[in-house]
Amino acid sequence: MNSCVASCVACLALAAVGLRPAAAQQFPTTPPAPAPMAPEHFPRFHEATLPNGLHLVLVENHTLPIVSIVLTMPTGEVNDPPTEAGLARLTAALITKGTTTRPADSLAAEIAGAGGSLSAAAGEDFFSIGSTVLSEHVDVAFTLMSDVLLHATFPVPELDLARKRERSALALRRSEPTSIAGRFFAHALYGHHPYGREETAASLDAITRDDVVGWARTQLAPAGAVLVIAGDVTLDRARALAQRFLGDWQGVAPVRHYGDPPAERATHILLVDRAGSPESTILLGNLALRPTDPAYDAAVVANDILGGGAGSRLFTDLREQHGWTYDVATRLTRRFDVGEFAVRTTVPNAVTDSVVREILRQMDELREHAPSDNELAAAEGYLTGSFPLTVETPQQIAAQLSMVKRLGLGDGYLAHYRQRIGAVTADDVRRAARRILRPDSAVIVVVGDGRDLYPGLRAIAPVEIVDQEGHALTPEALAPPAVLPFDTAALVAHRDSFHITAPGHGVVGWSVTALTRSDTGVTVTERSVIPASGLTQVTEGHLTPALELKHVTQTTDFPGGIARVDLTASRGAIRGTAIRPTRSGADTVAVDTAFAPGTLSIDMLQALVPALPLTVGRRFTLRSIDLGSFGASTLSVAVADTETVHVPAGSFRTFRISVTGTAGGVTYFVTTDRPHRVVKVEPSGQPLTFELVK
Amino acid sequence: MRLLSRLLHAVVPCALIVAARPAAAQAPVRVQHDTLANGLSVYLVPDTNAPIVTVDVWYDVGSANERPGRSGFAHLFEHLMFEGSAHVKPGEHLRMVEAAGGEANANTTEDRTDFHETLPENRLNLALWLEADRLRSLTVSESSFVHERETVRQERRQRVENQPYGRAFTDGLTLLYDSTDCFAYAHPVIGSLTDLDAATVADARAFYRRYYVPNNATLTVVGDFDPADAMRLIHEYFDGVPRAAAPPPVTCHVRYHAGRRERTWRDPLATLPAVVIAYLTPPHADPDTPSLELLTTMLGSGESSILNRHLVRERQIAVMAGAGSDDHLGPSVFYVYAIANQGVSAESLATALAVQVAEVTGHPVRSADLARAKNEVKVGALFDRQTTAALAEQIQHFVRFHGSAAQINTDLDRYLRVTPEDVRRVAEKYLVPDNSYTLVVVPRADSVTTETRRE
Repeated sequence: MNSCVASCVACLALAAVGLRPAAAQQFPTTPPAPAPMAPEHFPRFHEATLPNGLHLVLVENHTLPIVSIVLTMPTGEVNDPPTEAGLARLTAALITKGTTTRPADSLAAEIAGAGGSLSAAAGEDFFSIGSTVLSEHVDVAFTLMSDVLLHATFPVPELDLARKRERSALALRRSEPTSIAGRFFAHALYGHHPYGREETAASLDAITRDDVVGWARTQLAPAGAVLVIAGDVTLDRARALAQRFLGDWQGVAPVRHYGDPPAERATHILLVDRAGSPESTILLGNLALRPTDPAYDAAVVANDILGGGAGSRLFTDLREQHGWTYDVATRLTRRFDVGEFAVRTTVPNAVTDSVVREILRQMDELREHAPSDNELAAAEGYLTGSFPLTVETPQQIAAQLSMVKRLGLGDGYLAHYRQRIGAVTADDVRRAARRILRPDSAVIVVVGDGRDLYPGLRAIAPVEIVDQEGHALTPEALAPPAVLPFDTAALVAHRDSFHITAPGHGVVGWSVTALTRSDTGVTVTERSVIPASGLTQVTEGHLTPALELKHVTQTTDFPGGIARVDLTASRGAIRGTAIRPTRSGADTVAVDTAFAPGTLSIDMLQALVPALPLTVGRRFTLRSIDLGSFGASTLSVAVADTETVHVPAGSFRTFRISVTGTAGGVTYFVTTDRPHRVVKVEPSGQPLTFELVK
Repeated sequence: MRLLSRLLHAVVPCALIVAARPAAAQAPVRVQHDTLANGLSVYLVPDTNAPIVTVDVWYDVGSANERPGRSGFAHLFEHLMFEGSAHVKPGEHLRMVEAAGGEANANTTEDRTDFHETLPENRLNLALWLEADRLRSLTVSESSFVHERETVRQERRQRVENQPYGRAFTDGLTLLYDSTDCFAYAHPVIGSLTDLDAATVADARAFYRRYYVPNNATLTVVGDFDPADAMRLIHEYFDGVPRAAAPPPVTCHVRYHAGRRERTWRDPLATLPAVVIAYLTPPHADPDTPSLELLTTMLGSGESSILNRHLVRERQIAVMAGAGSDDHLGPSVFYVYAIANQGVSAESLATALAVQVAEVTGHPVRSADLARAKNEVKVGALFDRQTTAALAEQIQHFVRFHGSAAQINTDLDRYLRVTPEDVRRVAEKYLVPDNSYTLVVVPRADSVTTETRRE
């Protein structure tokens, strides 16, 4: 129960009342124990190899007339040229966007008409193309898969769109504390190894259509590729279809180069400064195992015991006992080359050092002492119990088999999963823990307010402080940036309506921003709706006449639930509540943190942009509060240049103002003429544009 | 929400099927049926495809059973069913299911409340025990009641009051019904804030005693289990729950073709006018339903659908348009809607919508459009049977709405047999102005409503 209910229990006298008398018959007063499990059974699969090297795996299942196909090739982001990180992902985004005989729309319509889907994806180690269709249309799936593999045209407009989307996603990732932590963590663990590389705006911009065409031609080949087919089709027919549509596909197997990750160092902390953040995000861990390591099953059980769910050690310790966090989990990541183990949690500043110490202690504990029988049974029960729900449908089976084949996990991996997990002993767990948990040589990344966190963290291990671009900072440099005065006279009361458009979909929503002034200050509101995504967001901010934040609320309604933030600033602090939707209701978080004067919410920035100093070439910083994580952070604002924009309300000469930084990014187009008016907005993070209508 | 899923599906285009091959023969679903002495109706569908099992309980109670002043109660009660029973602590139901590697959920509509769990096959006993414990001994504490009521009020506020057109697609679709003659469908499932505020714990307990009884419930088990073992467990856990009086029936009187009605609502959250035209249609089980459902697909599903082709792409008078239905045990609702493009008046949009509907009542639809719609229905029917959870829901649907689980094996044929003339005939029967309610939503503050009736 959340704190809201707990506080009410005290003031309500009535105890719970049973509503029906117990029946005369004996009803079990405790939950029944698990029945014996039926013997494990995974469907048989057949294999064959085509002359061109394509390896076929088929699982027949004639229960329903559906077929799922996954083609996986042993190449991916690992084979991006170092200066063009993102090339594999862009190739995957483009490959289904048109062939020499089928434009993108026809492709989409044709597969939908066959009652199915067709998509491509690039991961770190593998590139896959998949399709699920009605079995009577399985030849349509093969026709289209072969067409995109052999005759994709990678049109330039689609490349531009995909690149824009990828850049937006990148900008968004760079602003979220969890993503920031992940980026630094990966780099610290892997260094120049391909798993440590990251996309940048520059690497994306460097990619040309020729690069995409060349990458597809040299990397996507039948040799070394695995085609998994699951569902309502016989082996003979599957083999015939594969030979007919993919038999002429030629190419040499791509080679993946990994190299060695950096040697481990003694435990050290990388503190990434995010000034003003009341919470820190911690990512702590080390390199782990190769995918076929014999200790892998025991390692999975160890991982679940340490931090797998509500019964795990870290959850019980950090959340239930100490109340230090709502959310802590461990993760054992399996890759084609050496994988990793990590603990992730978000905690208030005051307890960050205690949490880091406690995590290290728990890692030690599991290395030194085998778990109890109860813990072992609970972890194994969960892992074996949830497994069948992950292989129910042909789509799921195809995906799992594909993973097994490409990681080389062995034919019996899925068929004997339960048996192997059930056979792991407490001592196996302890020995595996010694392999995957190394608290003496751990990488600890903490993203948060450097000034607040540094003193406590330096008592644990050597600390290196950096800003979010990775530049080294000295402890003395952890100071907030200067506050910029607004030209409040440039603000005019208004109510502006915008269309929200997305490429290929036209108008997908609308947004209204308004500003009103009174003696007590300025009120800014924004209301945005994107119906097809089920998204509505309403933000209301009240500012003093000098544009200092007094009170802000934001309600976001989306398919996952309703989130609401309500914050009030006074006397150097910001306090309030945030409600986040969860499965069984909502979590309420109390916010109470130091708050520097002059901090705004980026959601209110649009109404205030006209009051910024608008001269081409001007650059300055603003402090902003992130209504997702309640952390204050820094925005860099640049008045880039002037350009003419055309929007439904007309054509205007505008300043292009680019805002980037820790709380998200956006580009505003503000009229050069007074009164300055925002006529167009391009937020980072999604391929949407806001255009003034009236 | 039905509407949102319709909007999401609207983005997927459908292809022209020139020549369709006959579908692969699909094995019929084999259902075993039994009834306990206390009236609990049991359906078992053994299926060894995967070692998992779904337990699904439907209570024959929904918002249609609510009385004036107590709307929203059935849905509130659904929440309360997770707040603990004699041997299960509040919130523990979900935790126990998840610890066993499973998933659980629930939902409420006008005519039934659904609770289900999906678990590995050897935990069937846990799911049955949990459902039995809350049927026989739910505990509704004052604190749980207050907590859940607040959650539901918040849900109403955010999903309806704070959502542009929120009222139009909840309260708006009930306007065809008269509160006096058919309160059952004259109010939305989520209820009103006033009624929710007035609800008490005593009301909750009375509701439980009246409706959450074994003779008002259907238990379905689908998946990898032995029917004899399952029945043994069901007897052990459920036999001891006493039968109760049959709950009072729902009454609903409607008059088809009661005249063309219209209402205008001002919506401070809307920035563009919208029009919804709703038509009164027969109960879901009626023979005309397949034609109506195919029509919602042809009119509104995807970029090549009729309303999208004409209103959105060609004439560009609508930002978006679609069609849908509210399917009831009793009289149901078919609706078309559109949101106007900038500069287009609500009146001209309403006229354009009505003209498109008149087209389908006057002329048979194109064979290609009908073929594509049938394909969509066929695919939908398949995915509805692909998992134990989806199949369990389908069985419950056929029992509750069609009176026969066996119809799951024959229902698709009703759709595939529909001809373009069938569609025209059914459209002409129901989708006419004198059987409609037009709701115009106009942006701007200050709520003003006007209603006109024209025969």
